[in-house]
Amino acid sequence: MKYALLTTLLIGFLFTGCRPSNKVTRMDPSQTTDLSGRWNDTDARLVSEEMIHDALTKPWLNRFNRNHQKPPTVIVGHVRNESMEHIDTEVFTKEMERAFVNSGSVNVVASSEERAQIRQERREQQEYASYETTKAMAKEMGADFMIIGNISSIVDETVDRRTVAVFYTINLELVNVETNQKVWINNKKIKKLIERKNYRG
Amino acid sequence: MAANKYSLTIYRIFFPLALLLLLTGCHSYVLDDAQYDLRNSFAAGNFEKSEHLLNRFEEKNIYRSKDAVLKNLEGGMIHHFAGSYDTSNTYFHSAEQKIDEAYTKSISRGLAALLANDNTLVYDGEPYEDVYLNAFKSLNYVHLHNWEAALVETRRMAYKMEQLDIRIKGIAEAFAKKDTAEAREWKSGEVNLQNSAFSHYLSAILYAKSGHVDDARIEYEKLGTALEEQKRLRRYPVPRHSGLKEILYPNRYNVLLSGFTGQSPVKEQEDIRIWLNGYDGDEDESFYVKFSLPKLTLVETRVQNVRAVINDEKVVPLKLIEEMDVVSAEVYSAKQPIIYTRAMLRATAKATGSHLIANAVRKENKGLGALFDILGIIGQETTEKADLRSWQTLPGQAWMNVVDLPLGTHEIRMEYVAANGDVLYTDIFDVIIAEDIHLELVESIYSY
Repeated sequence: MKYALLTTLLIGFLFTGCRPSNKVTRMDPSQTTDLSGRWNDTDARLVSEEMIHDALTKPWLNRFNRNHQKPPTVIVGHVRNESMEHIDTEVFTKEMERAFVNSGSVNVVASSEERAQIRQERREQQEYASYETTKAMAKEMGADFMIIGNISSIVDETVDRRTVAVFYTINLELVNVETNQKVWINNKKIKKLIERKNYRG
Repeated sequence: MAANKYSLTIYRIFFPLALLLLLTGCHSYVLDDAQYDLRNSFAAGNFEKSEHLLNRFEEKNIYRSKDAVLKNLEGGMIHHFAGSYDTSNTYFHSAEQKIDEAYTKSISRGLAALLANDNTLVYDGEPYEDVYLNAFKSLNYVHLHNWEAALVETRRMAYKMEQLDIRIKGIAEAFAKKDTAEAREWKSGEVNLQNSAFSHYLSAILYAKSGHVDDARIEYEKLGTALEEQKRLRRYPVPRHSGLKEILYPNRYNVLLSGFTGQSPVKEQEDIRIWLNGYDGDEDESFYVKFSLPKLTLVETRVQNVRAVINDEKVVPLKLIEEMDVVSAEVYSAKQPIIYTRAMLRATAKATGSHLIANAVRKENKGLGALFDILGIIGQETTEKADLRSWQTLPGQAWMNVVDLPLGTHEIRMEYVAANGDVLYTDIFDVIIAEDIHLELVESIYSY
């Protein structure tokens, strides 16, 4: 009996090691989940929170309001990915757009990719929509500022590859479309240490 | 009574284990056959059939979780040459992730490998495979005109090669520090085999084309080192490093010509069967041992030259940047002693174990003892199996060059030429050079 149990356990142990198992748990999106050490939703959230807070509290906004008596209009340009991972920068730029629009302090206009689609629609309206509902051409709101930036990363690991340190730096800048003047610059740094196990069961 | 209990124990442990080991052995043969079919259809240039085969193998679960790296490498390469670049990237991305995950070794698999064979271990990819997959991913992104993503892959392969270099040199330096007697000179080995000339060449081009002048120069210098280091191994002459300098001047070219030839080396099983004789008094103590060792054979290509004929006028010869098959063979030869020692230890342990069990049973029942001897031989025959897993669809050689073409449409004919001057294979491309094109990629393959 003892040996039969031992054999069953041994076989069970061998199979357990081979078999992946799936378990799904729903969780709060704001909860931190660091699984692989790669760029993830938490990093994107940290970047957007920092950038939104900084952009909405720095003097450029009040200065523009004071000088022009209207909120500035911003367009999101290209955030270059110069890291070693495929990072979707839209995750945090969209968050910034949302925060700007909802704050009522900053107007946001469609990005160049989005514009192409809307312009196509407007062109088609000229031909196919009723006179009353057709939207006029050349009434787009011009942006005062463009957000541009980049993400870069430095990776360092031990010779045995057991410990990896990843350092991300995310730079965002707000550039005056007319004068090229940079009115706001911020950067967010994220550093992670990944320690890998040599063995598992 | 005690003896009866002992033999009962043996049956209870022996039979389930034998059954498990037999099952483990069988699957590896199915995977070998699948890999063989995949290699043949890919080499014939029948990528549609290769795709179909891969899908069928996935459905039939021929690639188990331990073979996930292999499956994804094959999938990535098949879809790359089939022109499904997004799908190819998905496969390569998974392969890279699985290689990363395989860093943590499974103890249970290690135990299973001790009992059965190396096929139970997770295939974690060779370091050069980890670099080549990024090279092909970056080519995918160039095809998709996603320059930023191509550069991400370039950075990844540059980083991986740098880490490999540090690791190799780090080990040598550590030995040198320990060797206070200065008994010998500790060097990082005659050849840094993980230094891929093909990947450095590609990285230099992509960096140069994106305005990263310094990075391009560094990659170009490393290309020179890689060419020098691989000189000893190569069957064909190495292109002059200075002759490749044009890649540093991004305004002097807008088309990257690349031709892949040959196949990756074939791993074959070599079985050694011996009877070890011995006598214990009058008793015959002879027992049977079977070793299965993987043997690597290079697949010779018929191609001696690759050239691009542009608009039926200009002929641009491609330069043989890397013999990937030779690199993989050399890496394997470095690992061979470990693989062989492990196989021999395992086979001897299995043979001794089954012989001891048979002997114990024989004392109770002579006929049953003989049956256990036979079962032991069958067990060894079935479970001793060389690990023949390797990236089947990895091409053998990479030929490349750059050329500058004026705006407009051009016909580029890639010709694969034999030693006697016969054109073995031709691939024709219509290339459109537009104002905003960073780099147009012409890529073709002939696997014979």
